[in-house]
Amino acid sequence: MKRSIVHFDLDTFFVSVERLLNSSLIGKPIIIGGTSDRGVVSSCSYEARKFGVSSAMPMKMANYLCPEAIVVRGDMDQYTKYSDMVSDVIAESAPLYEKASIDEHYLDITGMDRFFGCYKWSKELREQIISETGLPISFGLSVNKTVSKIATGEAKPNGAIEVDNTHVKPFLHPLSIKKMPGIGDKTYRSLRTMGVDTIGTLSTIPLEVMMRVMGKNGNEIWKKSNGIDLTLVKPYSKRKSMSTERTFDKDVIDMQQLNRLLISMVEKLGYDLRNKQRLTSCVTVKIRYSNFDTHTQQKRISYTSFDHHIIEVVQELFKKVYTRRMRLRLIGVKFSHLIQGTQQLDLFDNTPQMVDLYQACDRMRNRYGYDAVRRSIAM
Amino acid sequence: MNFIVSSSTLLNHLQAVSRVISSKNTLPILDNFLFQLAEKELTITASDLETTLITKVELESATEAGEVAVDAKRLTTILREFPEQPLTFNIDKDSLSVDIVSENGKFSVVGQNADDFPKLPEIKDNATSVSFTSEILNAGVSKTLFAASDDELRPVMTGIYIELSPDNMTFVASDAHKLVRYKRTDVSSENSASFILPQKPASLLKNILQKDDSAVNLQFDEKNAIIEFNGYKLVCRLVEGNYPNYEAVIPKDNPNKLTIDRLDFYNSLRRVSVFSNQASNLIKLSMTANQLTVSAQDIDFSISAHERVKCQFEGDELEIGFKSLFLIEILANLSTADVVMNLSDPTRAGILVPIEKESENEDVLMLLMPMMING
Repeated sequence: MKRSIVHFDLDTFFVSVERLLNSSLIGKPIIIGGTSDRGVVSSCSYEARKFGVSSAMPMKMANYLCPEAIVVRGDMDQYTKYSDMVSDVIAESAPLYEKASIDEHYLDITGMDRFFGCYKWSKELREQIISETGLPISFGLSVNKTVSKIATGEAKPNGAIEVDNTHVKPFLHPLSIKKMPGIGDKTYRSLRTMGVDTIGTLSTIPLEVMMRVMGKNGNEIWKKSNGIDLTLVKPYSKRKSMSTERTFDKDVIDMQQLNRLLISMVEKLGYDLRNKQRLTSCVTVKIRYSNFDTHTQQKRISYTSFDHHIIEVVQELFKKVYTRRMRLRLIGVKFSHLIQGTQQLDLFDNTPQMVDLYQACDRMRNRYGYDAVRRSIAM
Repeated sequence: MNFIVSSSTLLNHLQAVSRVISSKNTLPILDNFLFQLAEKELTITASDLETTLITKVELESATEAGEVAVDAKRLTTILREFPEQPLTFNIDKDSLSVDIVSENGKFSVVGQNADDFPKLPEIKDNATSVSFTSEILNAGVSKTLFAASDDELRPVMTGIYIELSPDNMTFVASDAHKLVRYKRTDVSSENSASFILPQKPASLLKNILQKDDSAVNLQFDEKNAIIEFNGYKLVCRLVEGNYPNYEAVIPKDNPNKLTIDRLDFYNSLRRVSVFSNQASNLIKLSMTANQLTVSAQDIDFSISAHERVKCQFEGDELEIGFKSLFLIEILANLSTADVVMNLSDPTRAGILVPIEKESENEDVLMLLMPMMING
C-alpha cells in the first residue's frame, strides 16, 4: 500500500529559539555550543555556515573560521520547552506521530489525501506551527521515512517539498550519497574510494557487492538508495537508558573532585529516575584517560531509584575501572535496563525518616529547581 | 550381610530421604544412600553435607550387622517398578556387591564403601533441647517459609528464624520486603535461645512432617540442629549470623484499619494485577470509608484497570502502593475469611492479620513494605 509519511524538522532549532528570546541575534552568525576549550558546536545559524562552520566541529576551529560569530552557551531546558510546544501542536492534529529527536517529527498521514490532500494538510500544519511557536520549520512529504527525511533536507531552510511515488527515484538519484541518513564519514569514504558519489550510482551496485563490502549495513543502505524503507512511524518509544558525562576543561587526577562529580551525577540522574517513575537495574561507569583510552564497567543491581544505593555501586565500579595513574579527560554515569515503577521499600534498609527525606528533597527540587537541595559531599 | 524387606515400605522411606540429595553434588559418595544394618533394623541415611535425613525400617529378618552405600537414583528407580513383594538384599562385605533378589529375578549393583560417607556432626553438651507436637513445627514452617529471601548476599535472611523463650516459640521469615511472624504460646523452653533454619531443611520438614500430635524433639547448638520425629532424624547445619531486629521494624502506631473479605480482596488483586507493569507489579490501593479501589496501569502498553471492593475502613483516606505479587502471596498464606490490614502512611509497612485467631495458641502477623508512589 502506498503510504504518506511527513518528516518535520525545525530549522536550526537551537538558533531559532535563541533568536526568539533575543531578537538582536536575528541576521547575525550565531554558534551554539560549549564555550570551553574543549567545547563543540551543537548548532549554528545559516550565516555562520557560510564561513564553513558546521555542527560537531570543535569550538576552537569554529572561532577561527568565523571570529565575528556570537557564541551562545545554550539552554537545554528552554529548547525542551519549545520542542514540547511543537509536539503539542502536532499531537493535536496528526493521527500518528513519532518524535524522533528534539527537533524532528515523523507523521504517518496515510489516507488523508482522500479528505484533505496530504500536501495541503501538511502545509497548513506547518503554518500553524510557525504561527503558534514562532519557529521556522520545514517538511518533506513522501512514501517512507528515508525519502521524507532527505526531502526535508532539500526543502531547508523554511520550505516544503513533496516527492510522490513516481518521483522518488528521479529525486534521489542526482543527490550526493552524503545526504543519505545512515551514511557517515567512514561509509562515505569507503564508497567514494569505490567511485560512488551519487545515490543513483549507489542504487545500481549489485546487492551482493554491497553486502560483501559493508556487511549487513550494506543491505540497508542499498535498499534506501532505491527508495525502499519499510520502517514504521512508531508513536512511542521506550526510554532505554539515561546517562550523563562530563569532559573536563583540563584533565583531572584529583580523586576527591572525581568522587564529588560522580556523586552529583548520580544525584541528578536519580532525581530524574524518581521524577519519571523509573527504576534502574544496571549501572555503568565510563572513563576516558587523557590519551583517549576509554573504559567502562557495569553492574546489575536490584531495581532501585535511591541515590545512596546507586552511589555505592558507582564508587565501587569507578575503583574497578580506574586502574592507571593517568589523568582523566572524561567521566560518565549511565543507568540502563529501566522499567516503569516506583521503589519497593526495604524493611531494614529504609527507615521511614530516610524515605521522608527523599520525598521532601524531591518536592523542594520540583518547586525550586534541581539545585535547591544537594548533598554537601557533592558540592 | 543380608535382609528381607517389603518393596513398597522401602520405597516409601527412600523417597522421603532422597529429597535431601541434591542434583549436583561435590562428593560422588553423596549420590548414595547409606544402609546400616543392626539386628532387625535398617537405618537409611541421605545427605548433602549441610542437611542429613535419617530414617529407620523395621525388618522381618536380617543376618549379620554391617553397612554399605548404594546408588540412590538407581535404587529408587528400580523399586518404583516393582509391584509390592518381599525383596532380599544380599550384600558381600568384601566385594561390596549388592544383589537384590525379587520373586522372579536378581538385580546386582556395586556398592560404595560406607566409611566414605560423611560423618554426622556432633552436637555440644550444652545444646538446647525442647519437645512439642508435630503440628506446631509444621504450621510454623509452612506459614513462614514463603517469605524467606533467596538473596545470597544476606545469608541470614535466607532461613527461618526460630526463637524460643519461656513464654512462646516464634517463627520469623523475611526478605526485607515482606515479613511473617508466627507465634505459638503452647510451646516454651526454660531458657531463651534461637537459631536460623536454612530453607532446604525447612521445606523438607514442610513436606514430611505430619499435622498431628505426634512428638517432635528439637536439639540445637550454635552450629547444628537435630530434629527427631516419627522415625525420622533430620540433622542440619544452621545459618550462622545474627538475625536482624525484626520487632523494631514492625510499626506500632497504625491509626488506619482496613477490614476486608480475604477472598474478595485476593481475587480482585489477581485480576487487576494482570494490568500492572510486569516488571514492577505496582498496584495501588485507595481507601475511603467503605470502599477500597484497587488499580494498576502499564504506561508502556497503555493498559489500565481498576476495581472496587467492599470493605470497612477506619481512618483517614489513604493511597498506598504495593507489589501485587507479594500482597497476593501474603493473602494466600492467611486462612481466615476476613483479614485486617493496619496502616499508618504510604511509606510505612502495612500489617496484615487474621480477624480472629484460628486457635488461641497462635498469633500470625504478616507485614509488607509498600512501593513509593509520588504525590
